[in-house]
Formats: sequence, structure tokens, C-alpha cells
Amino acid sequence: MSVSLYQTGVSGLLAAQQQLATTGNNITNVNTEGYNRQRADQNAVIGLTSGSNYIGGGTYIQDITRLYDQFSHKEQLLTQSNLGNADYLNGRLTQLDQVMSTSGNAVVGSLEQFYQALNGVADNPNDSGLRSIVLNQASILSSDFNELTSTFEKMTDAVNGEISQVATRISEISREIAKVNETIMHSQHLTQSGQPNDLLDKRDQLIGELSEYTRVSTVQDNNGVMTVMIGQGTTLVAGITPMTVQVEAGDPDPTKTQLSLVSGNSSVALKGSTLGGSLAANFEFRDEHLAQARNEIDRLAMAISSTLNDSQSSGLDLNGLQGANIFTDINTTQLQQGRVLAHSSNTGTTQAQVAINDVSLLPTDEFEVRFDGTDFTLYNLTTGGSENLGAPGTGTPAGTHTPSSPDYGFSFIETGTPVAGDRFSVIPTKNSGALMKATLTDGNAIAASTAIAVTPSSNNVSDGAIEITNVINPVAARAYDVTVDVYESAPGTFSYRVYDTSSPPPLPSIATGSYAAGASAVIDIPSGSPDFQIEIKGDLVGSGTNARETFVLGDAFGVGNGNHAVAMAKTQETGVTNGGKETFSQSLAVSTSVVGANASNAALVADTAQALYTQAYNRNQATSGVNLDEEAANLLKYQQAYQAASQIISTANTIFDTILSAVR
Amino acid sequence: MRVSTSQFYYQSTQLMSQKTADVNDQMAQLSSGKRVLTAKDDAVSYSTLAGFNDDLTNIEKYKRNITMAENNNSMQEVIFADVETLLDTFKQDLLLANNGRMSNEDLQSIAAQLRNSLDQLIDLANTQDEKGDYIFSGYQTEQMPFSQQVDGSVVYSGDAGINQLQIAKNINIATNQAGDAAFLNIKNAIGDFTATYPSSPANTSGVSVESAVVTDRNSYNASAPHNYSFTFGPGAAELNVLDGAVNVYSTTTYTAGQNIPLSNGVDVTLGGNPLPGETFTLTEQDEISVFETLNNAIAWVEQGIVSTDQEQYQVDYNTILDQMNSAMNHLSSRRSDAGIRLQVLENQSSRHLDVELNITTNKSAIEDLDFAKAISEFEQSQIALQVSQQTFSKIQNLSLFNYL
Repeated sequence: MSVSLYQTGVSGLLAAQQQLATTGNNITNVNTEGYNRQRADQNAVIGLTSGSNYIGGGTYIQDITRLYDQFSHKEQLLTQSNLGNADYLNGRLTQLDQVMSTSGNAVVGSLEQFYQALNGVADNPNDSGLRSIVLNQASILSSDFNELTSTFEKMTDAVNGEISQVATRISEISREIAKVNETIMHSQHLTQSGQPNDLLDKRDQLIGELSEYTRVSTVQDNNGVMTVMIGQGTTLVAGITPMTVQVEAGDPDPTKTQLSLVSGNSSVALKGSTLGGSLAANFEFRDEHLAQARNEIDRLAMAISSTLNDSQSSGLDLNGLQGANIFTDINTTQLQQGRVLAHSSNTGTTQAQVAINDVSLLPTDEFEVRFDGTDFTLYNLTTGGSENLGAPGTGTPAGTHTPSSPDYGFSFIETGTPVAGDRFSVIPTKNSGALMKATLTDGNAIAASTAIAVTPSSNNVSDGAIEITNVINPVAARAYDVTVDVYESAPGTFSYRVYDTSSPPPLPSIATGSYAAGASAVIDIPSGSPDFQIEIKGDLVGSGTNARETFVLGDAFGVGNGNHAVAMAKTQETGVTNGGKETFSQSLAVSTSVVGANASNAALVADTAQALYTQAYNRNQATSGVNLDEEAANLLKYQQAYQAASQIISTANTIFDTILSAVR
Repeated sequence: MRVSTSQFYYQSTQLMSQKTADVNDQMAQLSSGKRVLTAKDDAVSYSTLAGFNDDLTNIEKYKRNITMAENNNSMQEVIFADVETLLDTFKQDLLLANNGRMSNEDLQSIAAQLRNSLDQLIDLANTQDEKGDYIFSGYQTEQMPFSQQVDGSVVYSGDAGINQLQIAKNINIATNQAGDAAFLNIKNAIGDFTATYPSSPANTSGVSVESAVVTDRNSYNASAPHNYSFTFGPGAAELNVLDGAVNVYSTTTYTAGQNIPLSNGVDVTLGGNPLPGETFTLTEQDEISVFETLNNAIAWVEQGIVSTDQEQYQVDYNTILDQMNSAMNHLSSRRSDAGIRLQVLENQSSRHLDVELNITTNKSAIEDLDFAKAISEFEQSQIALQVSQQTFSKIQNLSLFNYL
């Protein structure tokens, strides 16, 4: 076989053609997502020996390869997951921040208006116009809470919708990757050295998209078949077998949807928060940030309802009746039952509910009660603490379990027979905002009047006072005409007597006793189940056993009495939540600023994630991206090579012609 | 480093969108004038701001209450001023009635005038505010507090209720004075007792009780009730005081004006030079209403010209006049009570204004935008955006393909 200049020329032509085609492909795919630039690797044909020399036989395209660095690609995947997570969380938290800041302001505004109206009643207790304004403001306030909680619900729905969409997309991607895997497997003939570049690109691109939703790791076997794992290493695609991700209603709370991985007939639960990517952000946002904000708002609604209802109940309305609830009672059966959700796996017959005893102690945590066969145990899911609540049916009244260390301000109440392993989710604040309603309809029912007043005798000689600290039954309290007298019976000891004014000692007294200087005495009237309580304090010295400091407690009801409205209006400035440290508006401000801090944190994280992703993307692009200038230069280069190769053929032709003409 | 074409586009667009976002944020801040729009902008400041807003709301409330309390207290002040003038006139008339040259007709016309004054006083005590509420009836604001009975006496049907309004975090101020405290609970001019002098035969020496005060309430309260009857004689300087049937004081050396310490903690001083055979009694009464005093005065004038028992006539007159003065003092003190409250309100109000100014300043320091800085930052961002746009369009034009 001899060297053929024709052959050589043609090989050059063919090579240049393939290179031009590759370059063209690169240029046309400059904007194709996930496209890795390709290169036609050119090689010289091994020369033929002619005598003592090797004579080159032209060229050929050995392989068309993708310029692909799997490490930088994996780095990009990882940063993409983080970016997806951070971006999503940032977006959602910004939204929540705006909701809390604007709707929160609305709530604060209505709260102010409400108190302003209440304060107006304090000044004009018998003005029915002002009284009905209070009720209007109360219903605006409660509907603000309803609005805010329904916004939270909509946000939860949106998150759940997003989760289910992403789950569907992940399932699609899973199937597509499996298909690509299959095609790649079939296209890999032992005889063929070239790579199915576009299929690989396609698969990488699918994995790239997947990495936005969740953390992805991949393993490729010798046949080019890729196994894809998501989250903490759960296999999504095993070679050519795709698995799908499905959304299931949460248990026990159906709105907390969960994910599970389905393969054939079996399914495994996926822990959403550990998946990474935007999915984990969805779960984190829904189960932490949104739930927390919601619990805080619920607790605020509860605190407002409870404080004002309590305050109402110790005063008298315009008709001399005990003040009725302004807002929905915080311990209605509906609310109590709504705070406990039984897990669907429970087999016992236990019906449980939660009653609130003290709003100021109530945390915004979420709890779970588990039954181990003998006792109920309360677990605080937020802080991690736990407390044994005792056996079923114990406590007073039967079945009432009140955690004591710490005291969370609520009681877990159960009836029925539990079975070991039964679990109950407890959210003590649940639904308070959504079900808050202004229940009072008649403005005259606002308890502006106090029930009893203390009148000191004009003969009293020393400092000191008697205060009515608590009125439990104002209507009954009104009927009392009680005299309290106090004197210093021994140095540093103050003795008091509380008796009915019409039957003074030596007839039996309601209460007698003494207290030390600097201390005070709190007295239930009557003792046992008091209608009201008084506190005696100060150095009430008196001028002897016959001339004690005397105070008369009697009916204070009157249409012009606005002192209880003053007391009610003062609750605006009183710390209620968080152990009595925060006023209503402070409580809201704290919740909002926590969300705000989280949001600005998330923004920083998102910025960082964006920077890291950009770096990884740049590194990857440095290897795999198409540069049009480069391609243009290549185009020229290969065009010239093509022209030159044509020239070879032309030269060969001339030589051939020369030989032909010589023999002609 | 090798830069791919899509990388160039990706980065440029990202840069530009970031700059646009910056400009957008700054625009929102500039147009609202606020640095902190949502909690995200500055979480720490946000809760501080909420605290400031809280304080401002409260101050707003206190200021409203102060206005209300001012209205109420100044109304009372005005009425007490009227009452003062009225009592002054009444006293002038009373003095006139005692000048001895009055005819019976004169005295009757003075009595009519005095009765007229009493009616005016009752009217003033029944004053209603702009809402139709009685201002001196305690909590029973729909109940007319003072009504005159057929016998001329005045009955109080309000209560002792005092409404209060909150004017600072821990300061409540009363907005009304109950009618009993204002018009009924007037200190007895002679102390804790009222003297009753016999009418016939009347005392002729002009003996009168100047003061009768409980000094030791413990021993006074040991028994009850107390009704002291003073009897002079039969000895020249003999005085016996009985509490019911119990002798509580006895002397044979009474000198005019001396202190008479009764054994159960009461000190009495008398005026005049009592004569043997004269008597009077003391009953406990530490407060006398202004209406009772005026009624007594009217009854005194209505006696007309008295020819017998001149001395006792003068004793009665002096008792009435003393009590009149006590009533006038009492009502002046009510008036100054209202005045003091008005002053407290004014002080508190200016304190609130100071605090408000302070809070507003602090709040604005946190919340408000530093416009000079913000505008210069805005300019910068704007320029940065412009520059990145221009570079993009310039570089984007550079392509080898242009030269092919």
C-alpha cells in the first residue's frame, strides 16, 4: 500500500468537517441550558513504512468529547442546593416579615383604638355611644387576628402546594433520569469509543434541576449508569429503576404534609427538613418560622382575650350585672379539644383536651404527650424537656394533669383508656387567633363600674390602706357591708378584724388575724370560696384597742362609676405574656423582630450562597462553557484547515494530471 | 481564567439586577423617609421602636385623660367659686340682720333673701355637666344629689364615689368630688360636739361652748354613746358633768375659761361666766352640713326681733356665725383642692410634652432616614447601575463574529 495524497487530503477534509460541525454545534448551543462544550479530538494516522521512513497518512477524529470536570460539576450541584435552600427561605421569610410588620401594625393599631375607646368609657361611664364604640373596636381587633391567622393558613397552604409540586417534579425527574440511564446503557457499545455527550448533558441538567430542590449525590458505574441519591443518601434512581416522591397528609396535623419515597408497593417516609435544597427550606419555614409566628400570634390573641375577659368579670356593667366576656372564652370545649391532636396510630380510647390556667406562663412551644403503658409523659418538642404526668385518671379532677416543673400554665385533661404507645400532639395556643371573636353585643354590658369601695374613717390617724385586690363575684361582693379595723396590738404586730358592719364584735367576725410591720395581709371574703379579696397593708397603728383604724367596705355600683374601666384600660400597660414581662404590643413587637432578625439573617445566608454558587458556576463554566470568540476563532481555524486540505487534493490532482500528460 | 459567553451574560445580568434591587430599596426608603420599614430592615431597632410607639400611645392616652380631668376639675372650681360668693353674700346679710336696728319686716325680707340664697346653693350643688350628669352625686350621676325636704332640710342621695383617670403610669387623679365630701362633711366649728342650750328657762349668762374635742379616742370609744349634760351650781363655782347617769367631771372651783377634762377623753372649754342653775347638753356631731348651717341661720333671722333672752340669742348667733365661717373655709378648701388638681394636671401635662419630645427625637434618630446620606448613597447606586449597564452593552458588542 502506498501513501495516497488523495487519502491524506480527504482525511484532512473529513476531520475539518467534523471539527467545523462540532464548532457549529457549540455555537448553536451557546444558550442551551446544561450544555457542555464539545471538542473534536484530532489525531494523526499512523504512518506507513516506506523503506526506512514512516510516512504520515493523514488525520482522523479520534473522539468528540465534552469538556466536563466532574468535580466542579459536583461543587456546582452542592452550592446549587444551598442556594435553593437559602433563596427560598429568604423569599418566604421576607414575605413573613412583611406580613408581620404590616398586619402586626394593623393589630397594634386596633389594639390602641380599642383601649382608646375603653378609656373613653372610663371618663363617661354612662355614655352608651362610647360603650358601643368599644364593642366595634373589639370586633375589629378580633377580625384583625382572624385575618392574620388566615394569612398564616394561606401561607401554609402555599408551602404545602409548593411541596407537592416539587414532589411531582422530583418524581418526573426521577423517571427521566432512569430513562436517560437506560438509553445511555444501550448506546454504550463495546466497539464504540465516543460518548453520548448530549444524553450525558441532559442527565446532568436534570440532576442540576434536582439539586435546586434537594441535596443530590450521584454514583456512576462502569456502564455510565448513574445512581442518584437525595437528602441524606436516600436512593431516588437506582440505575434504570426510578422511585417517586409522594405527598401525604401529616399525622396528626393534616396540614403538616409529609413526603414519602415510593417504589412499587412499598413506601418510606422522608424527613423533609433533612433533604436540603428548597424542599428543606419549605419544611423549615412551615414547621419552624411560620409555626412559631403563628403560635406567638395565637398566644397574643389568647392573652388579650383572657386578660380582658378576666378584667370584665370583676366589674359590674351598667345594669349592675357581672361583666360578661368581651371575647370568646379561651377555654371553650371547642378550643380545648382543638389543642390536642391524637395520632392516627393510637389504639386507645383516650379523649384529650387542654385547658389554659395562666396565660402569663404559657410558652409558644409545641408538646407531645406519650403513654408508656403506665404513665403519661409530656415532652416539650421545642426545648427538649419532659415531665411525667402520672397515670391515666389521676389528678383532680380525675384525669387532669398539670405540669409543675416548669409550670406551663396549662392542664392536660384526658378520659378513656390509653394503650401503650399512644401519642398526642399538644399545641396549647392553637386556634386562639382564628377563633377569637368579640362576643359582647350590648355596650351596656361593659363592666365599667367597680363593685365595692373602701371608705376610711375620718378618725383614722396613720398611713396605711386597704385595697381590693381581686373581685371574683362582683354581684355578691356588692351586697357586703363590711368593716375592717386594724391597730397595733403589740409593737410591730398589727391585728385586724373583718366583720359585718351591722354585727360588730363581740359577735363573730368574718376574719381576724395579724401581720407584722412591713408585711401585709390578704383576706378572702368570705374565706373558702371568696367573693372578693382585700389586702391590708401599712402601719395602721390606731389609738388603742377601742380606737382602731377603721375602714368600711361597701357597695360602689353606680352608673357614673368608671373606675373599673380605668382598671381595664390599664391592662394595656400591664405585662402579661412571658411571665408578665411583656405588654400586648411588646409581645407582638418581639415576635415581629424575631421574624425580622431571621429574615435578615436569611438574606445574608442567601447572599453568601449566591456568591458561592456564582464561584462554582464560574469554575464549571471555565471548563465547560462555550465562548463565542473562541468558537469564532476555531471556525476560522477549521475553515482554513478545510481549505488547505482541499488544496492538498488539488495538488494531488495536479500531480496526477502532470503524470497523465507525461504519458499522453 | 476562561470566561464562557453565558457566564458573561449570567454575571452581568445578576450584577445589574442586584444594583437595581439596591436602587429600588433605597427608593422605598427615600419615598417613605423611613429607614426601618419592616422588622427585617433592623430587627433590634424594630422592637425599640415598638417600645417608643407604645410610650407615645400611652402619653397620648394620658394627655386625653388630662384634658378630661381638666374639664371636670375646672368646672368644679368654677362652681365652688360661685358657692364662695354666695356664702359671702349670705354672711353679709346675716351680719346685717344682727345690727339691732332692723324692724321685723326688714328681718323677714332678709330671711327671704337668705332662703333664696339657700335655693341657689342647692341649685349649684345639683349642677349638671354637658352630658346631663350631676357632678356632685358621686357614682350616682343620674340621681339628683341634693333635694330639699318639706321641713327645709336637705337630703343627699348620691354616694361617696370618686372617679379617677390615669394621667401617668402610676398617677391617677380624681375627676369629681362627691357631694357629701363637698357640702356635708364640714368640720364642726367647736370640735366633735354640738351644744344644745335650754330654751326655757334660757341661760342668761351667755355661756357658750367654745370647744369640745375628743382627745383620747381609745377611752372615749370604751363606752358609747355619750350624751353630756353640764349643770352649774348649786355652789357658786360648782360644775357637774354627767354622761347619762355617770358623773364624768365635777368641780367646785370652776373658773371661767378653764379647760374641762371629762373623764372619758373629751376636753371642753366654755366661754362666758356661767351662773349656777344654768345647763346645756353636748351631743356628738363632728360634721355639720352647709345646708344645716344655712337653715339654722334662716331660722335665727326668721325669729324676728327678740326681746327676751338676748344673751342666748347672741350665743346662738355666734354659734351660727362660727359654723358659717367653718363652712366657708371648707368650701374654699374644696375650691383649692380642684385648683391644686388643675395645677398637678398642668405639671403632668408639660412633663408629658417633655417626654414626648424626647421619645420622638429618639424615635426619629432610629427610624428616620438621614436624607443627605441616603441621597448620596442613592446617587452612588444609581451611578453603579448605570456603569454596569454601559459596560455590559459595550462588552456585549465585542465579538469576533463582527470581524468575520
